[in-house]
Amino acid sequence: MAEATAPKPSSSVKLVLLGEAAVGKSSLVLRFVNNDFQENKEPTIGAAFLTQKCNLPTRTIKFEIWDTAGQERFASLAPMYYRNAQSALVVYDLTKPTSLIKAKHWVAELQRQASPGIVIALVGNKLDLTNESSGSGNALGDDSETDAAEGENDDGDARKVSTAEAKSYAEEEGLLFFETSAKNGTNVTEVFTAIANAIPETSLKGARGPGATQSSANRTEDQSRVNLTGPRDSASKEGCAC
Amino acid sequence: MFNFSSFVQKAQSFIDPTQALNISPSDRNPAKSTLFRHQFRLPDSQTPLQEITAEITISPPVAYSPNATQGEKDKDRDRGYHYEGKLHLSEAYLCFSTQPTSFLQSASTSTSSGFTGQTHGAGPGGNGFTLPLCAIRRVERLHSQQYQFALAITTWNGLTNSPTNDAAKTPALQQKITIQLAGTRQACERFCDGLKKGLKGGVGDVGKLKKVVAECYSEYLLQQGDMKKDGKKDSIPPDAGLGMIFRYPGDHKKLRDRSKMRLWGEYLRDYGRNVTLIRQPTFHKLIRVGLPNRLRGEIWEQTSGSLFLRLENPMLFADTLAKYEGRDSLAIDEIEKDLNRSLPEYPGFQSPEGIGRLRRVLTAYSWTNEEVGYCQAMNIVVAALLIYMSESQAFFLLSTLCDRLLPGYYSTTMYGTLLDQKVFESLVEKTMPILWDHLVKSDVQLSVVSLPWFLSLYINSMPLVFAFRVLDVFFLEGPKVLFQVGLAILRINGEELLDATDDGAFISVLKSYFSKLDESAHPKSENAKLRAVTRFQELMVVAFKEFSGITQNSITEQRMKHKDSVLNNIESFAKRTSIRNLGPDSKRLSVDDLGSLYDRFYGVLYERQQRSQIIMEETERRDRARRAKAAEVVTGLSENQVVEKGRVGLGPSPTLMDYDGFREFLAGMARWAITDSPSSPGKDKNSEPEKHSYFGNSVRRREVSLSPWGYGNPEPADHEFMQRLFRRWDVDMNSALTLQNVVTGLAHIKGKGDIMGSITYFFELYDDDGDGKVDREGILRISEALLFLSRRGLEGSLTPSTSMTGLSEYEADNPNPYQPEGMQGNTNERFLSSVSAFIRRCFEYADPDHPQNKVPEVEESTSNGLADPDSFGIGDDSDEEEDLLDLGDSSPARGKKPTGIPSIPAASDGSDNRDRSVSKAHAEAANAALDPSKPLHITLPTFRMVVLADELLEQFFESSFPASFRISDKMIAPASSSSGSSLTTFSNIGFSRSNPQLSVGGTSSAGLVPPGKGLRGVLDNIVTDGMRVAAEVRRRMDEAQKELEQNAVHRPDDDEDDEEGYDEPRTPGGNAERSVRSEDRDLLEGADAEAMSLRGHDGVSELKQQGSLSPTTTNAGRSRSPSVASSKVIEFER
Repeated sequence: MAEATAPKPSSSVKLVLLGEAAVGKSSLVLRFVNNDFQENKEPTIGAAFLTQKCNLPTRTIKFEIWDTAGQERFASLAPMYYRNAQSALVVYDLTKPTSLIKAKHWVAELQRQASPGIVIALVGNKLDLTNESSGSGNALGDDSETDAAEGENDDGDARKVSTAEAKSYAEEEGLLFFETSAKNGTNVTEVFTAIANAIPETSLKGARGPGATQSSANRTEDQSRVNLTGPRDSASKEGCAC
Repeated sequence: MFNFSSFVQKAQSFIDPTQALNISPSDRNPAKSTLFRHQFRLPDSQTPLQEITAEITISPPVAYSPNATQGEKDKDRDRGYHYEGKLHLSEAYLCFSTQPTSFLQSASTSTSSGFTGQTHGAGPGGNGFTLPLCAIRRVERLHSQQYQFALAITTWNGLTNSPTNDAAKTPALQQKITIQLAGTRQACERFCDGLKKGLKGGVGDVGKLKKVVAECYSEYLLQQGDMKKDGKKDSIPPDAGLGMIFRYPGDHKKLRDRSKMRLWGEYLRDYGRNVTLIRQPTFHKLIRVGLPNRLRGEIWEQTSGSLFLRLENPMLFADTLAKYEGRDSLAIDEIEKDLNRSLPEYPGFQSPEGIGRLRRVLTAYSWTNEEVGYCQAMNIVVAALLIYMSESQAFFLLSTLCDRLLPGYYSTTMYGTLLDQKVFESLVEKTMPILWDHLVKSDVQLSVVSLPWFLSLYINSMPLVFAFRVLDVFFLEGPKVLFQVGLAILRINGEELLDATDDGAFISVLKSYFSKLDESAHPKSENAKLRAVTRFQELMVVAFKEFSGITQNSITEQRMKHKDSVLNNIESFAKRTSIRNLGPDSKRLSVDDLGSLYDRFYGVLYERQQRSQIIMEETERRDRARRAKAAEVVTGLSENQVVEKGRVGLGPSPTLMDYDGFREFLAGMARWAITDSPSSPGKDKNSEPEKHSYFGNSVRRREVSLSPWGYGNPEPADHEFMQRLFRRWDVDMNSALTLQNVVTGLAHIKGKGDIMGSITYFFELYDDDGDGKVDREGILRISEALLFLSRRGLEGSLTPSTSMTGLSEYEADNPNPYQPEGMQGNTNERFLSSVSAFIRRCFEYADPDHPQNKVPEVEESTSNGLADPDSFGIGDDSDEEEDLLDLGDSSPARGKKPTGIPSIPAASDGSDNRDRSVSKAHAEAANAALDPSKPLHITLPTFRMVVLADELLEQFFESSFPASFRISDKMIAPASSSSGSSLTTFSNIGFSRSNPQLSVGGTSSAGLVPPGKGLRGVLDNIVTDGMRVAAEVRRRMDEAQKELEQNAVHRPDDDEDDEEGYDEPRTPGGNAERSVRSEDRDLLEGADAEAMSLRGHDGVSELKQQGSLSPTTTNAGRSRSPSVASSKVIEFER
């Protein structure tokens, strides 16, 4: 494992996508990785694995994305995938209030079971189905509509989860928050960039360190994982640095 | 005593069915009938009935010649293939295999689990056949020159062959199997009798057979061949999948489909087709090289056994669709989401035709197996199947997949998938240690890669053509194929995988491998032949040669090994998730408490389901036993997959708790929720004591295991308070509680921690209409509930009293960690008086519903009662005292003379009635407070005030009521022994030991009666039975009102009942038990006596003179209570 010295430091970040079925997890990834959108995407069995680089001013982050299956019964497989994840995208469908509830469950699960210090972003997808799909972004600060008022938008707005509601929840839990559209690309790269920025430098540095020896310890079981980055060590990813 | 407890434990291990079905892996060997069904791929309805060694001769098809001479027949028999093996007969099938098998129930377990062979019980191994009896056209008994028993079987092979124009003509070719039975003449005769019987039964199924066979492409194929010979035109082929419309995947020429078809055509012509197919050595080879497209579906169906499922109920698919047409379900929603995204690369699934088929198959299956419903990946598998088979065929094959080949894969917890991943990992570790080490080192989680392989049968991992080749073998040889192929993939890519250091690299190595499966495995080889070998062929060779050691057995073994840990993981995940999602109310309870609640809740549900299952099976078994001969009834209770059902980790488990479950749940948690008079088993024994002693243990065992509460568990009480609690918690009004309901309910009781909340809660429980008022009835019910809740002593530290010094010696022996026995006892007594005061005060401060019912009257009545205690003489009490005397000879020394105080505490509401009658009779005073014609009520503030006026009650609401729900800890030993002892006083010593602690192993001494504990037993009884007396009195309230005087004469014969109740349990038990019991009783009696003497000043005589208004129901033990109660009241009054 040669320490390649790259002009800009590069590190891998494991990211896991969680959320109810058909909220658009895979589509978000597809948009981010291939800048593409498919109307009929095969359901994810178990999980799909993709990678994509994200260039920050000071460094390059290589996302190793685990896109998980959303069907409820696959939930018990999830620990396998969020194991060692440094970041997570918890996705809900902002036209479907139940999906936010499910998202909250995932957040709780991650906060308790995943690596400590995991960076979690809450993402409301399918912004294209609402009126403000024009890419107003996540900073809908003045959105004063209350929960009660939501049902009243009958001007073709399918939104059922208000920005304010989700946002206040995200703030409470200390999550990044975005509303996105995988279909027209709104905010998708922003999500990943924000995550990349939020990953603490220290955990990235750790990745270059002793790596292999720690990773075998990691293997034993999830419970007492201390080092966030354990296995993200090896030479192979050094290649991506340039 | 020691004998006793050890006996109890022993008995439990015999009796407790749940203990028997767990644990040792050897217990988990699948039942023989299961092995049998798996081996021959038979439906679950089949059991192995007969088995005999036989030699079969498969003659090449011969022209039909009814007039053939004997000599010719003999000659036929000598030609053809000979196989030796075992011939099996089930209800509707005749099966033969050359592999050593033994599934007869009489065979020992070792033979059934130890047999080996190519498929190891997972598929039709060896050469042979699985022949539905309805497919047998004729059986002749051959005269054999070798004095052997020989049968010639003619099948309905080519049933549909008969040309339409001359139906009379018999098929040109007949399939004939000759069987020589080896065995004693008797055995042979018996087998033939069985066969005859089966054949008769099979006649009716010929219609089904025709229908099923008509859908098989082989029929068409062979018919077609004949017709071509005859120069006739084509008929319409049966549906062989979407491939007929949209082309089959892959290149026909490359697949050499035509020559495969020809080979298969020959095979089928010679050795039977679909149901009559005989497995010859070439059969396996033909499958390994890949099936021809049009026959693929049918052979899958045949080898997997789904054909037989279809034969059993050919219309099931259509019927199911018709039955549920237009109905909606979660599964259907999920299916709809995925229809457009199942094998989208195959043109058939971009067309409405293909999507429609997929929808129908998935939907129909989701209805027939609602537990599984729909799982993503099923869409992909079914889509693949539909390319080669009709909807109905795919439907049955999906059933076979889910139920048998991939057990638990698609269940709601997907435990099968996770389990097989574990198995796979352990196989990798075993077979490729270096690669495994590398994976561990670089922290690559193998299952991340391999899970989709298994879950979707390689269909979306490999190119379709190759995935189908894997499926060909998979359906024949069973799930081990998935493992073999998986291992081979890793082995072949081993070098490259060793270079991959993270998940990403690992995945990409395999991805590129899969994409190059059709390329040459040795592109640089000089040898042209070697060059021609594709990577896929190499894969198959490695899989089945190099990993031939991977057998169904080794996989089963590994599954057993990992099963528990996988299930535990799933369950702890489910638990975690479910606890986390319990909502805001749950925050009032600690996480530990929630965890224990969860365990308790699902524990109760699980056990109840187990029990009902076992009871059902038992009942069925007994029914069968009644009908049939004993020999046919032996089918095991021990078919694990059945019995283990309901475990959370295995998939959908019950989530709703009905009232009975709730009672059981409470009984596991709160002492007061355990009944004092376990009924069912006791009654059972009462009614047929003789039977038990004659039949001894085995019968008894069944008897006990049929108890609806399970053997090792205490029978829960059934009290109005519990009903109220249930209704209160049942916020959704569906007469069942979810975990959420239970947690919320408990959170409100335990979580508040302030006395006001707890008082309010209690009040609201009894405020039926929610108007903030509790009427007289309610007050009485509250007091009754207070007694009910306190009858086993109170939790927490109520202010101890100082007087009971005499008990200290007993305390020394008493393991009770939190409260000394004596104090507890004393507190109990004091609590009784508190409750009595409570009633009195309630009435005192009650608001009349009508202004004219004034409070003073209440007081008047009270004073009335007080004024002439002797003359009222409270019937019950004196009566009770007498009973008490009968039981414990020494003077029951609670000294206070019972008096006619209006509100007798223990009797709660009953006391009221009694009181009322008394006062009416003697004082004629208008007892307004107790007069039902003058309604009154208390409000919450009043209630609160009354409670707070009494120290004990205050403490009760503050601490002991909430604390009586012991969520986390098991009930501690003394509690159990106390309940035990209290029960022993009653009729059912046998039951008293069944405390939950026992089954959990909490205390070993449940059977031992600590010396001090008798006292508490007495007290407990007093309280309980006071209530019972009260209830009885209340029942007779109206009478009592009218004919007061008569009451005094009622003197029950309860003693006898009591004796009976006491003795009966002894009868069935063995000697040991009996002796222990009497010992126990002696001890108890002694303790009782001592308890009495400790307590009292007064003599028997005094008590005896009291008139009796006695409740008829009570027995000696019970009837004591009111007297104590009343005596306490007096104490209080003074």
